[in-house]
Amino acid sequence: MLKVEQVVKTYETVRAVDGLSFEARPGEIFGLIGPNGAGKSTTIRMIMNIIAPDSGTIRFDGERLSESDKARIGYLPEERGLYKKAKVGESLEYLAALKGMKLPEARASIDAWLERFGIADWRERKVSELSKGMGQKVQFIGAVAHKPSIVLFDEPFSGLDPVAQDELLAAMVELKEDGVTVLFSTHVMDHAEKICERILLVDRGREVLYGPLAEVKERHGRNAVQLEFDGDAAFVKDLPFVETVVAYPRWIEVELKEGSESDQLFRAVAGRLRVRRFEAVAPSLHKIFVRLVGRSPEEGNGAGAGEALRA
Amino acid sequence: MRKLALIVRHEFRMAAANKAFVILTVLGPFLILAVTVLPTFVANNPAAMSAGRPVAISSAVPGAAEALAAAYEGMGVEVSVTDDPRAAKAAVLDGSSAGYVVVEAGWPDAGRALFYSKTGVDATMYASTRAILGAFARELRIGAAGIDPALVRGILADAPFEVLKIGPEGNEESKTQDDFMEALFVSLSFVMVLYMTVLLYGQMIGASVVREKTSKTVEVMLSSVTSRELMFGKIFGLGLAGLLQYGVWISVALALVKLVGPAFDLAVPASISPENLGWLLVFFLLAFFLYSSAYAALGAASEDEHHLGQLAWPLLLFLIVPLVMVSSFIMSPDSALATALSIFPMTAPLVMLIRVLVSDPPAWQLALSVGAVFASVVGMALLASKIFRTGILMTGKRAKLGEILRWVAVR
Repeated sequence: MLKVEQVVKTYETVRAVDGLSFEARPGEIFGLIGPNGAGKSTTIRMIMNIIAPDSGTIRFDGERLSESDKARIGYLPEERGLYKKAKVGESLEYLAALKGMKLPEARASIDAWLERFGIADWRERKVSELSKGMGQKVQFIGAVAHKPSIVLFDEPFSGLDPVAQDELLAAMVELKEDGVTVLFSTHVMDHAEKICERILLVDRGREVLYGPLAEVKERHGRNAVQLEFDGDAAFVKDLPFVETVVAYPRWIEVELKEGSESDQLFRAVAGRLRVRRFEAVAPSLHKIFVRLVGRSPEEGNGAGAGEALRA
Repeated sequence: MRKLALIVRHEFRMAAANKAFVILTVLGPFLILAVTVLPTFVANNPAAMSAGRPVAISSAVPGAAEALAAAYEGMGVEVSVTDDPRAAKAAVLDGSSAGYVVVEAGWPDAGRALFYSKTGVDATMYASTRAILGAFARELRIGAAGIDPALVRGILADAPFEVLKIGPEGNEESKTQDDFMEALFVSLSFVMVLYMTVLLYGQMIGASVVREKTSKTVEVMLSSVTSRELMFGKIFGLGLAGLLQYGVWISVALALVKLVGPAFDLAVPASISPENLGWLLVFFLLAFFLYSSAYAALGAASEDEHHLGQLAWPLLLFLIVPLVMVSSFIMSPDSALATALSIFPMTAPLVMLIRVLVSDPPAWQLALSVGAVFASVVGMALLASKIFRTGILMTGKRAKLGEILRWVAVR
């Protein structure tokens, strides 16, 4: 079990992480969620002992992380990087060897992963020849080939096409089923919603929400409706019983005021929009974030903590 | 230690298993020969300058052509006597002739002596010609004055003079001008080897660290190893490559001295001795570790290779200053300046190597010099690992040198 308690990290004047506490358990997928610059990467780097926290503790199974424990952890950094001139297979073997894995064992594991992602033919090719998506898969393999008991993925889905995202999601679920603690960070709420058991929602280095996803949704669950339609839904936000709206051209999520019922909305839109789907739902994480923080996660926090120091 | 060994092996392979490294290892000795010995060799040897092409001579003064021809042939330059100035000039122009000498009637008192050349700058050729003609003119004038030329020659002959070097055991060793030139060439070659390899390896380390940052591999590496392991792994890996390169070069040099020289009865310079090669290796290792730690730290602090170049100029200065002053150090190896710079750590490897090669510095100075550099290597490595730790994760900021030095204090 990974236990983070009251960690703080300040860069010059910016408090990147401000007293975060959470735990991630074996066999679960834990989501560290928040907009860009919220302090997710800094937190992961502190767990990885790449940078030291100003205060607070990070423990694995009750012990502070020592250098030898790094072999038990797999890490996919936000900024991907492999030695460009080296061959794919050699690079991965080198990374596995640094984690203490014996060569034959490492080869078998790497081959199995390459096979799984359908890039076994690229074993003898140079890293510089890989496309971006393939490079990310190779990097992912670099994080998991040594069979770690904890994996930390920093923004694992960024820059991947939907097919590759699904492949990665499936791989993460499989790791979890094998009893691995999977911790990943994302600013895309949809990803978190798909696979996380528990989440920590952070903003400006502080906790916004923490707990099992289902519980979080229930706690903040109010009347919400998701609508797919053809037509102009601009009028919806002005309806008297509507609290807030997340709007896209052909899809909206509407949160209703307390005491209102979803069929009020149904009657209001009937005839004015061609409704294709109408579903009463618990609000999305996105929605919850917007309500608690007062702005969309895509806006970032503007503090730029991650700019001067890549952290 | 196991991780360090893995990084060392990886970095060694990245450095040594490429064509550039193999070519440099094989061609290195020739390159050094080319930049040090060859230009001087050519400058002192008109035969090499004329490149087998004849010099045409046309003389209206009896005896001048013969005197020139005899002297030229003594230097290994071919001669052709001609009466056709147009053809001779054409031959100079098309390059088939190295030059064309004309001695006009009445020379040296009324007529002129002319040297036609294609470039006008082949100084060695025309300086030799002027000397030969000058000597001939003196003989003519002495003859004209009614004095026996043999008498004058006897009066002007050089008086005997010898230079003796007293060895450590009081033994005496005769030194000639050639010995000095030889010592100059060997020292110059050794110093060039040291300078070029230290600079090359330093920059390779710096560039390799910068690449670690720009290719973003650093975080993946730091998830397995400490920044200290990463830095020293790089330094030792490249150091091993450097050692391999020196091993090849020194073996070639020793083979030249011990086997090839005696077998073909070649005069191999006495200064290429196992002892001197040993000193070269010692000072390479010291300088390598000193400069590569510094370059590793600056590489970690740099945004890109351009930025590294800006940050590294003070280092470059310490290497270039001794190189610029190398001839003055060779001529007076025990001057106060040479002694001081042979103990100051940043310049000590280059300057002390020169002193060891051409002189016999006191043992305490040698020990102090090696000790000072060694202590600086340790200090520099500690300093560098601190700068490296902070710098390697820093991006998006072009730090100044002063700022970088403050990172040493970062907890």
